[in-house]
Amino acid sequence: MGGTRKIWVRRPGSSATTIQISEADLVDDVRDMILRKYANSLGRQFDSPDLTLSITPRESHRPERVLGPEEPMARTLDAYFPGGQTVEDALIVDIPVRRTPRPSPRTGPPHAQHLTSVLHEEVRPAEAATDYFGPGAESGASDQIPASAMSHDAGLMTNGNTHPATNGAINGAHAPTHPHAISVLSTGQVPQIPSPGGTRTRQYRDRPDRPRLGRQHTSSPTIIGNAIHGTHSIAGVSVPPIQTQATHQQTHAHAPESSRAESHSNATDINTTSSAAGGHQNPPPPAPPLPTPPVPESDATMTQASQNQAQAQAQQAVATPPARVASPRPSAAASKQLKKKKAADNASLSSVMLGGGVPPINVLIVEDNIINLRLLEAFVKRLKVRWSTAMDGREAVAKWRTGGFHLVLMDIQLPIMSGLEATREIRRLERLNSIGAFSMAEDGQSGAAKAETSEEDKLKNREAFKSPVIIVALTASSLQSDRHEALAAGCNDFLTKPVTYVWLERKVMEWGCMQALIDFDGWRKWKLFSQNKPESADEAAAAARKAKAKKNRLSVTAPPSEVQQ
Amino acid sequence: MAETDDRYDEGSVTMPDFGDHVDNGIFSQILEMDESETDRDFSGPLVINFFDQADETFDKMDKAVALKNLDELSSLGHFLKGSSATLGFNKIRDSCQVIQQYGHQLNIDGTTEPDGDICLKKIIEALKTVKVDTKTLEKSMKKFFGLPE
Repeated sequence: MGGTRKIWVRRPGSSATTIQISEADLVDDVRDMILRKYANSLGRQFDSPDLTLSITPRESHRPERVLGPEEPMARTLDAYFPGGQTVEDALIVDIPVRRTPRPSPRTGPPHAQHLTSVLHEEVRPAEAATDYFGPGAESGASDQIPASAMSHDAGLMTNGNTHPATNGAINGAHAPTHPHAISVLSTGQVPQIPSPGGTRTRQYRDRPDRPRLGRQHTSSPTIIGNAIHGTHSIAGVSVPPIQTQATHQQTHAHAPESSRAESHSNATDINTTSSAAGGHQNPPPPAPPLPTPPVPESDATMTQASQNQAQAQAQQAVATPPARVASPRPSAAASKQLKKKKAADNASLSSVMLGGGVPPINVLIVEDNIINLRLLEAFVKRLKVRWSTAMDGREAVAKWRTGGFHLVLMDIQLPIMSGLEATREIRRLERLNSIGAFSMAEDGQSGAAKAETSEEDKLKNREAFKSPVIIVALTASSLQSDRHEALAAGCNDFLTKPVTYVWLERKVMEWGCMQALIDFDGWRKWKLFSQNKPESADEAAAAARKAKAKKNRLSVTAPPSEVQQ
Repeated sequence: MAETDDRYDEGSVTMPDFGDHVDNGIFSQILEMDESETDRDFSGPLVINFFDQADETFDKMDKAVALKNLDELSSLGHFLKGSSATLGFNKIRDSCQVIQQYGHQLNIDGTTEPDGDICLKKIIEALKTVKVDTKTLEKSMKKFFGLPE
C-alpha cells in the first residue's frame, strides 16, 4: 500500500479540506473518499463516478484539467506541484449537471397536457445548484447560487472549470443582499412559516403533478400543505425556455428591491389571466397576495415580447406551491453558518410556542448498538425532548403502540425485526387504525374500519395517535438504493450515520415543528404537565405506560446472528 | 483539518493527536457532550464500553471464523462498524467494513467473490489488523481519559 498523505480538495466556493489517501490511490479511489468527506452534501445524492476532480496548475496560463479516474493521484499531484500541494492548489470537486431527460416542449403535466412544463423543467438545475454549494452557502454567499445556476443552465459548465472564476466575479460585484431576497425570489413568496433550517429554495420541490426525480427526502404523509398543492393549477405558456430561464436567474443575481413592487402589480394581472384561462379540472387558486419574482427585463426594453415573458414568469410563480417545511441539507462545513441562520429562522416560531428550544416532542430511538444508543440518548437529552429507546424492531413497534410518539429515529439494520420491517408494520397499523389527517373528520367511517380491524391490530389508546409518526431512518450508507428502500417502507427522512448533533437537532426541529402544528392541544397539555413536574416527567410517564418492566439493556454484546442484512 | 476546525472551533476541546486512528471532528463531538472537561463522565465510559464491546465482538468473530460462518462475520462486522463510526474510530471502522463485505462474499468494490475461502482469508487478515489497531487505540484513549491501562 505504501505510505499515506493528505491532499487538499475543495468544492467551488467553499473552503478547502484535506482527505487522506494512500500513495497508490487512483483518482477513482479519491472520489470515494471525497464522498465520505462530503457525506451530506454530496454523498446523499451522488455516487463516486458522478464526481469530477479538476486540477489547476500553478502557472496561470495553463488551463485547469479534469483528472481521469485512472490517474494515480499522488504522482499526478507531485507532477503538478513539485514543492507539495498547498491549500491554494486544492483539487476542485465538482458534480456534473444532472442530465434529466427533458420533456419535449409543450407537453404539460399529466392532468393538463396542453400546458407546457418547459419552464419548470428548465429551472430544475437551480435546485442541483443549491445542493452543489450546500444549502448553507445561501445565507452567507447568496449570490453564488444564482450565479452557478446561471452557468449550469447556459450549459457553460460541465466540469466546473469556470466555477471559481464565476463565483469570484459575482461575489465581488455584489454586496450582500436583503436576507430574504433569495427565498422571496425563488419561491415567489415570503415563507409564511419560518421553516426550521429551511435554507433551501423550495420552489421546485413539491410539485404534485410531476414525479420527483430521485429525491424524496421529506415525503411526509402529514405535510399540511399537500391538500393545498392539489388545487394549484399550472398556468404555463410557451416561451423560449432558455431565455426565460436566463433572465430569471439574472434577476436572482441582481435582486433589485425596487422591481418587486412592479412585479407585484404584474402578478395580480396574471392571476386574473390564469383564472380566465383556467379551463381544466382544477379551479385556479384564489390569487394569493404574493410577492413574485421581479420582472426580468429592464423597463426600457419592456417590449411586447418581454412582457409576455414576464407574464409567463408571474404565472409560474402562481403555480408555485406554498412554502413548506423543508428538509435541511447542510454541508458539514457549512454547519456553523447554518446554525446562525437557523437561529434566525426559528426566532419567530420559538418565541410563540416553543419557548426558545426545540419543540417538546416525544422521540423513540431504535438502535441495537449500545454505543450508538448512548450517544443518541445524550443528544436528545441535550435537546430536552422526551425520549424512549428500543433495541430491535419488534420492541420498537411495541413501544410505538403505547402511543404518544412524534418522531422515531430508526436504525435500519436491527436484530429480530429490521428497521424497515418495523416501519412497514407501523405504517400498516396506522392504516388499519386510520391514523392520519382524515381520521378525525370521518368518525363513522373510521369506526367501521375499526370493526374490520382484528383485535390484535387495534391500538388500545387511539387518542394518543394524532398523526402518523415521522420515521427518520438511520442509514449506514449514503447509497441511493438504501434510501429508496427506506422510503418505500414508509420512512419520511434519513440521517446518515454517524449521526451528528447538529443534524439530529435539525431533524428534531423541523419534524417537531410540523408535528407541533398538528397536535397543538397535545403540546399545550404537555407544557402544563411539564411545568408542574419539570424533570423526570417523561421517564415516569414512559414507565407507567409500559407495564412490562424493561430488563437491563446495557449489554454491550453484539446482536444475535439473525441480524437482518 | 479544515472541515473539522470549521465545525468545532467553538468547543475548544483540547484534543491529542490520535493520528489516522480517529476522526477528530466526530470524536470531539463526543467530548463536547461531557458536562465538564475534567470529569468526562459521558465520553470516558462510552469509549471504555466501546473497547469492551470490541473485545467481545472479536471473540465472537474468532468463533465464527472457526465455524467458517460468513454470515455471522458479516453481521458482527456491521455491528462494530456502527459503533466505531459513531466514535470516529476510522481505522477500526474500515477493517470492520472489510469484514462485513467479505462476510457477504463481496470484494471491497462490491463485486462478488464466489470463493468462500478467499473471503475467510481476507477476513482473518482484517481481523488481525483490527485487533492490533484496537489495542493501540485503547492505550492512547485510556491515557487520554487518565485511566489505568
